[in-house]
Amino acid sequence: MVEITVENLFFKYPDAEKYALKNINFTIKEGESIAILGENGAGKTTLAKNLNGLLKPTKGSVKIDGVDTRNLSVAKIARKIGFVCHNPDHQFFAETVEEEIKFGLKNFGFTENEIEKSLLDVLKTFGLEEYRHKSPFQLSGGEKKRLAIASIIVWRPELLILDEPTIGMDYAQRLNIQNVLKNLVSEGKSIIVITHDVDFAVSLCRRAIVLSGGEIVGDGCLRKLLSNPEVIEKASLRKPFLIELEEEIGFSVIDEDFDSISESLIRVFDKCHS
Amino acid sequence: MSFLKAFQYKRRNSLIHRLDPRSKFLLSLVLMTFSIVFIDIRVLIAILTLQLFLIGLARALKEWVYSLRGLIFFIIIIFITQLLFGGTLFMGIVLSIRLIVLSSSMSWFFLSSTPEDIGRAMSSARFPIELTFSFVMAIRFIPVIYNEFQSIYDAQRSRGLELEKGGFRTKVRNLMPILIPLLVGTIRRTYEIADAMEVRAFGASPKRTSYKLLKFKKGDYFLCLVSAILASAIIYLKIFLGLE
Repeated sequence: MVEITVENLFFKYPDAEKYALKNINFTIKEGESIAILGENGAGKTTLAKNLNGLLKPTKGSVKIDGVDTRNLSVAKIARKIGFVCHNPDHQFFAETVEEEIKFGLKNFGFTENEIEKSLLDVLKTFGLEEYRHKSPFQLSGGEKKRLAIASIIVWRPELLILDEPTIGMDYAQRLNIQNVLKNLVSEGKSIIVITHDVDFAVSLCRRAIVLSGGEIVGDGCLRKLLSNPEVIEKASLRKPFLIELEEEIGFSVIDEDFDSISESLIRVFDKCHS
Repeated sequence: MSFLKAFQYKRRNSLIHRLDPRSKFLLSLVLMTFSIVFIDIRVLIAILTLQLFLIGLARALKEWVYSLRGLIFFIIIIFITQLLFGGTLFMGIVLSIRLIVLSSSMSWFFLSSTPEDIGRAMSSARFPIELTFSFVMAIRFIPVIYNEFQSIYDAQRSRGLELEKGGFRTKVRNLMPILIPLLVGTIRRTYEIADAMEVRAFGASPKRTSYKLLKFKKGDYFLCLVSAILASAIIYLKIFLGLE
């Protein structure tokens, strides 16, 4: 299992005058599901790249299981922390979907048997079996996104960071990704989702880190943060549909443990009837 | 890819930036001819000094130094080739300086001329608009391609790709996961831009007008004079003094 500790993190790009991240502090424990929210240019992707070692802090530190990322190679971190970039076209190069998925496994030295087994599992999970021998460049936008996630999940990292995973996806594909990620969380894996899709974030994550201008303006329970008008305004967010509905009808639609949706819906119908 | 920084326009308020791109291009061509024609280290160092003076005037020394990092790979190849084919260490140094002079001949021009001004200069020289536009677009897209290269590199590193590991052949093979998405992305973008231009009537009118016209000033005439003197120096040094 993996634990990340971020202490007084400041980050500045080489040619930039201003810091992209300022005084960031938080800890990520195993099994957490976190949404990183904020307006465009708030520093969400920069923060994610600091977490998986692609960028190294200008000041402060990011520690993975107690080891500073400055002392770890990106490949070593990637084995534990998977990062799905927002543009799938940035990673495809192989002739077939199969080869694309196998790429990471080969880099990490998996055996042929392990590679074949993991490949079949992930093709099935993401509904990509029929595209196995097709070129990744021939897939649709949503299929490419699924393949990008599949090609990272395949080596089962302890923590998965997804940058805008729902962009370009229809409802069914979005639901599929949501279920796959929920399964990962139930297996004890941690996930971090960078998104503007607050409804997707609410359906998946318990905790949110809200950024604005490179600083944390909120860290805590996602639903509470998204009910806070000050945080919503600072981070240019909108209230999720469920929270708006709750405020309209006057009680919680989804319980804290997310398990009583049917009971909540019955209460909504009762309220509407009365 | 860092050597591309030397060919990326930097907005500055300098004497060199204010000059007409045509006069700057003329001098660039002359300086480039020096690096092609001569292999004498004294000539190369003299031209490099002049180029550094021009880059300094353009206040772009930082970008130039940064671009040298990108040339290191080629300089290593020069030294390896020299060692393999019986050359000397001195010849390796001379050829490396020659490469730097060749690269710098154009870098000060691109660092101080906007792509739009280069396009205007080409139009005034009666180049076809299609060629001018393609050239300007190519220059303008250098930073975009550089950023895309960085994003692709990051994406592949996140999947365990290590460019630093292995021998020369492995390193070249490891470049494929970066170069293929870059090439595919660039070709795709080309088609998208072509479509976007067509829907905005590019090429519909045979005669185009220009909002801003280039005009030679005193500084430009001076630069042309310097270019003429240097061009004469090439002929004198090569033909009359027989310098290599």
